[in-house]
Amino acid sequence: MRTNYRVNSGVRFQMLSKDQLQELFEGVLHVLEYTGLDVHHDEARDILKKAGAWVDGLRVRIPSYLIKRSLEMAPRSFTVFARDGNPKHDIHIGPGRAHFGPGPTCPNFIDVETLERRPYVKDDVPIVAKMVDALPNIDFCESLGTVSDVHHELGATYEFAGMFPNTSKPIVAWSYSWDDSADIHKIAVAEAGGQEAFEKRPNYIHYCEPLSPLVSTFEAMDKLVFAARHRVPLIFTPCPLAGGTGPVTAAGMIIQAAAESWMGLTVAQAIQPGLPFIMGGVLSVLDMNSMILAYGAPELSLMMAGITELAHYVGLPVWQTGGCTDSKTLDEQAAIEGSLSCFFSALTAGDLCHDVGYTESAMTGSVFQLAMMDEAIGYSRRITRGIEVNEDTLAVDVIRNVGPNGHYLYEKHTHRYYKTEFWYPNLCDRRNFEEWSEMGRMTMRDRVVARVQDILASHQPSPIKPETEKVIREVLEAAEDRVKEEA
Amino acid sequence: MSTIYERLSTVIIEGNEEKVPKLVQKGLDEGLVPKDILDKGLIVGMNEVGARFKRGDMFVPEVLMSAKSMQAGLEVLRPHLIASGAKLIGKIVMGTVKGDLHDICKNLVGMMCEGAGFELIDLGFNVEPEKFVEAIKEYQPDIVGMSALLTTTMRAMGYTIKAIEEAGLRDKVKIMVGGAPVDAEFAERIGADGYGSNAPSGAELAKRLVGAA
Repeated sequence: MRTNYRVNSGVRFQMLSKDQLQELFEGVLHVLEYTGLDVHHDEARDILKKAGAWVDGLRVRIPSYLIKRSLEMAPRSFTVFARDGNPKHDIHIGPGRAHFGPGPTCPNFIDVETLERRPYVKDDVPIVAKMVDALPNIDFCESLGTVSDVHHELGATYEFAGMFPNTSKPIVAWSYSWDDSADIHKIAVAEAGGQEAFEKRPNYIHYCEPLSPLVSTFEAMDKLVFAARHRVPLIFTPCPLAGGTGPVTAAGMIIQAAAESWMGLTVAQAIQPGLPFIMGGVLSVLDMNSMILAYGAPELSLMMAGITELAHYVGLPVWQTGGCTDSKTLDEQAAIEGSLSCFFSALTAGDLCHDVGYTESAMTGSVFQLAMMDEAIGYSRRITRGIEVNEDTLAVDVIRNVGPNGHYLYEKHTHRYYKTEFWYPNLCDRRNFEEWSEMGRMTMRDRVVARVQDILASHQPSPIKPETEKVIREVLEAAEDRVKEEA
Repeated sequence: MSTIYERLSTVIIEGNEEKVPKLVQKGLDEGLVPKDILDKGLIVGMNEVGARFKRGDMFVPEVLMSAKSMQAGLEVLRPHLIASGAKLIGKIVMGTVKGDLHDICKNLVGMMCEGAGFELIDLGFNVEPEKFVEAIKEYQPDIVGMSALLTTTMRAMGYTIKAIEEAGLRDKVKIMVGGAPVDAEFAERIGADGYGSNAPSGAELAKRLVGAA
């Protein structure tokens, strides 16, 4: 037995001190109380006013006690469930748990046959979902694109309808408005077995995006109200660009993004106390040469680590970002930027790390980048799992048994641990030169392409219920009728 | 109901050190031909182990357990093989060359070769060229295997081959080399007959050298 023995399970990473985090926290409270945000949604402003906020035209300022109360109400830990009841696909959000998945809404996609960049289409959705379902280190699903070949208001409906049957990993659902949010919800609820069953075991997360600086748009608020009313776990994530739509400094960026996110938190908790709420957002720099939002910048990882620490300091899970790149192709830049941001994100234990598979600064989604990052995430996870220290792992007796000039390959101890102590790559090559040569001298890029094509040819996701298939058909028909009527 | 041969291959693949000798004994008790137990049971299992390793479906510690269980089976089988006049597929003399004290790799290759059905004479490590020459004269092996772990000691492989040539024994044996710093080009340069990049491929090579693969 050990007494007064402290265990560090896994690698610890801490950037900001408690004093610094408190200072950031107070900065957010100050912005919300004295500057406030413009909220372009009448009902949301009424809800905020009733809750104790000060409303002056569009501008809403929130007293700090109300923010603190809302933070208090939102859970730090909760579970999002696999639609098919497969416990391996459940996501348990809580301290020390980092999860990874793609991002939404890229206009382009790398075609899986031709490897060429082209507009994202409806048929790409099942491909992304299947890849997510098969890749061992990808935990949740987004589509990596905006569907371009359907009516412009129905992209998100078709997107969800395409993802849901092709992965049982929880989906983070992006949408345009109330109507398509309702389409999505109908499908998810059908599979869950009704609204009540869904509330007990939510199988997707709703995603809303306010505008920087300091605007809660009508659409973002309307979607938030929908999610809160239906008790759908919620992500509310702004995307300020340092030096453009946010302050140039990392600390200022963190404060503004948190203020934007917590406006959503306050509305959500006023409607549905205890609603699982994941704060954002995506923080990076406006590159002053190319004027792009840099997805491969070190400042992205740094600012994301800062906002993750702030989120955890106040007891909220965070929408992390990583596995993305500014590169246009699957090359060394893509590997460096993607891998480093995955590793850094894993170190922070940011709860849901998205945008894995973004290339060309979020202009092009790529399942090849996604598959390559699956390897980087596996690698990172082996490191963050840390070193286990106990009687058995100390191996003092085994060392005695083997003695000088022996070897450990026959030891039961070796057999017990070699599969769990070591990480085995799926893509990185460790063969000697001759074998590598015999196998066709494949590069990382070749192996990624082969793995993607292999998964797409062979992987079978678990099916949805037949009644849900029917609901999907009905939802799509009704949605088509809706946009025809509007026209 | 699977045959004893099938069950033997299965327990070899599983690396079950206890069950293999028991099953061999059971086969002998039931009057099976010792050579058949070897060829249709044990070696079939080891061949599958080699194939799975090559595909990446088995790991080295598992392969070694299979080889170890193969050895345990051979312990029981060997006297009966000899009594029945059956021949093993070949004889190998093996050692780590002069100046090199590392013998893990050589031991692994040795085990795999035994698993493949060879008779093994292990000369140990830090073996002088003359020792190799004497062993060839004494045991008349089909193959001489040499291993080195260090770039500083791999040259001793060349000297050893030279000593074997000078003793007029080079055409009596096939020579295979291996070890971390060794590659196919080096093997060719020093006049070896083959190079194995890991333990299972070393055993494969040995089989090829005696025309058994």
